[in-house]
Amino acid sequence: MHGRIKVRTTAEQAEAKRKEREKKLKIYKETTSRIYEKRNNGEMDKESLSLSEQVLAANPDFSTLWNFRREIFLHMKNENPPDVMQDLCQKELFFLKNCLQVNPKSYSVWHHRQWIMEFMPQPDWKEELQLCNKFLSYDARNFHCWDYRRYTAQKAHVSPDDEFNFSTEKIKENFSNYSSWHYRSKLLPLIHPDQSGDKERVEEGALMKEFDLAQNAFFTDPYDQSAWFYHRWLLGRARPQMEILRLYARYDETLATIIVHFTQPIQAPKEDPVVSFGEQEVTGEWHNSFHNNHPSTVLDILLCGHCVFA
Amino acid sequence: MGSQIKDVKIPPNSPTQLSLVKHADFIAAYGKKKDDYEYCITEFLRMSGVYWGLTSMFLMNKQEMMDKDDVIEFVKSCQHENGGFSASHNHDPHLLYTLSAIQILSLYGCIDLIDVEKTVEYVSKLQQADGSFVGDKWGEIDTRFSFCAFASLKLLGRLDAVDLQKAVQYILSCMNFDGGFGCRPGSESHSGQIYCCLGALAIADSLHYVNADMLGWWLCERQLPSGGLNGRPEKLPDVCYSWWVLASLRIIGKLHWIDKDKLRSYILACQDEETGGFADRPGDMVDPFHTLFGLAG
Ligand SMILES: [Zn+2]
Repeated sequence: MHGRIKVRTTAEQAEAKRKEREKKLKIYKETTSRIYEKRNNGEMDKESLSLSEQVLAANPDFSTLWNFRREIFLHMKNENPPDVMQDLCQKELFFLKNCLQVNPKSYSVWHHRQWIMEFMPQPDWKEELQLCNKFLSYDARNFHCWDYRRYTAQKAHVSPDDEFNFSTEKIKENFSNYSSWHYRSKLLPLIHPDQSGDKERVEEGALMKEFDLAQNAFFTDPYDQSAWFYHRWLLGRARPQMEILRLYARYDETLATIIVHFTQPIQAPKEDPVVSFGEQEVTGEWHNSFHNNHPSTVLDILLCGHCVFA
Repeated sequence: MGSQIKDVKIPPNSPTQLSLVKHADFIAAYGKKKDDYEYCITEFLRMSGVYWGLTSMFLMNKQEMMDKDDVIEFVKSCQHENGGFSASHNHDPHLLYTLSAIQILSLYGCIDLIDVEKTVEYVSKLQQADGSFVGDKWGEIDTRFSFCAFASLKLLGRLDAVDLQKAVQYILSCMNFDGGFGCRPGSESHSGQIYCCLGALAIADSLHYVNADMLGWWLCERQLPSGGLNGRPEKLPDVCYSWWVLASLRIIGKLHWIDKDKLRSYILACQDEETGGFADRPGDMVDPFHTLFGLAG
């Protein structure tokens, strides 16, 4: 339960409230048991749709009922022509929009919406994008909506450039839109890749423009965190070359170890290393300190001591 | 135009002591309100509700206040043909409630009362070709489910049943510019999601992929002047993030980056001294979810 303020009530108010809840509970219990019964009997009809709609309108996180609705839609697809299904799905989208107005942060509702869009004969992804814009205008930080928007934009073949412009627009409306700064960090390397081919890096000119935007933001509002984190990301983009920092050799009669410290984590190579001692060549084994195949900045080469000092 | 920092003021007469007896009573009473409207409409998450309540009781060493046999009977009765667990009767199995069921049985040390092999099979079948996990057969993908799968299999001693390397790669593909993690690749960082991803990476011995300095900075900036922690930048504080953020900081070894005393006083202020239990913010309605995360914090 989030953001529900506790209010003090008189005994009278409490009693009225109790009675009202009792009534609501009775209807709720009757409706849900009727739905369970119909589901158990495999009654995938319009009545099942309308009963589950009543419950979901008030309780959208009741995910099993969304599952039941999907079963009904799949069943009806076998018995109805596409235009009838298109119509049913349109109605479902309308119902879902109402659910989102009440609870814009329900995982189940957003997921069901995506499912219906994938299921319906002729989905209009461009219109979905408008719906996302609308919900982002109510709450610019709704991460469910941002996620659905990313999915929708891909389906509607919106270019990363257009999405980048959308993010700029949102930031100009309000610098304190962390979600939008986040989105830029994903889009920037896509539209302004560095010539080096490193997917994480960004071309110099574009980078400079981003520094300007971030500075503008924190001169306007130094207490907002968004631009500072973004700025830190723009700065920290250099990556060290893969190099050996130092080597350390240790040995006794049974075991010789060469410890190698790299600048970046590396997985122990599959090929065994060959180490030369003057004339002699000894084959060893690569390991990290845990003897598993996880990358590490420190790897050991294990050599049999007897072989080395034979 | 400078924006105001979003935060709450702790009322002057807020609780400053931990009232354990009240909290135990609150949890015990909650489980007995079977005819309460609020109780009934949260049936879709009952299994997790039981886990939150029971873990709270274990933390307070009051577990005998819940009927062990009843709880175990309920959990067993929620296992389905395919091995998964549902939140309650008449509900469909889901990975979220499968983890809660396994956690409850693990708390009681009686995991062998269920068909472990079938449960392992259920969880492992939810892994996708790209390493991600769906929550159930309807295909919702989320890094929360990666954590649920890892934690379930770890408790069952069967991490070998899934492709760990691929699962780790998927989680890493959800890493962001701030060092945090979101629901899916491209999703914004969120403390709850970060906890799930760090938890999963810790189980898979893969924490070395995390940029601990960067992420530690982001996590410690969750603390507000009131002492409370929020889940994302520019959001209000909430008791449940005492767990998601604290546990995350603990996993990457940066617990000392926040002010413990201030957080403690914020958490204590979220108690309801009349009814017992914790709310998300001082003066809000209490519930078992925030009671567990308040206590855990
Ligand atoms: Zn919360």
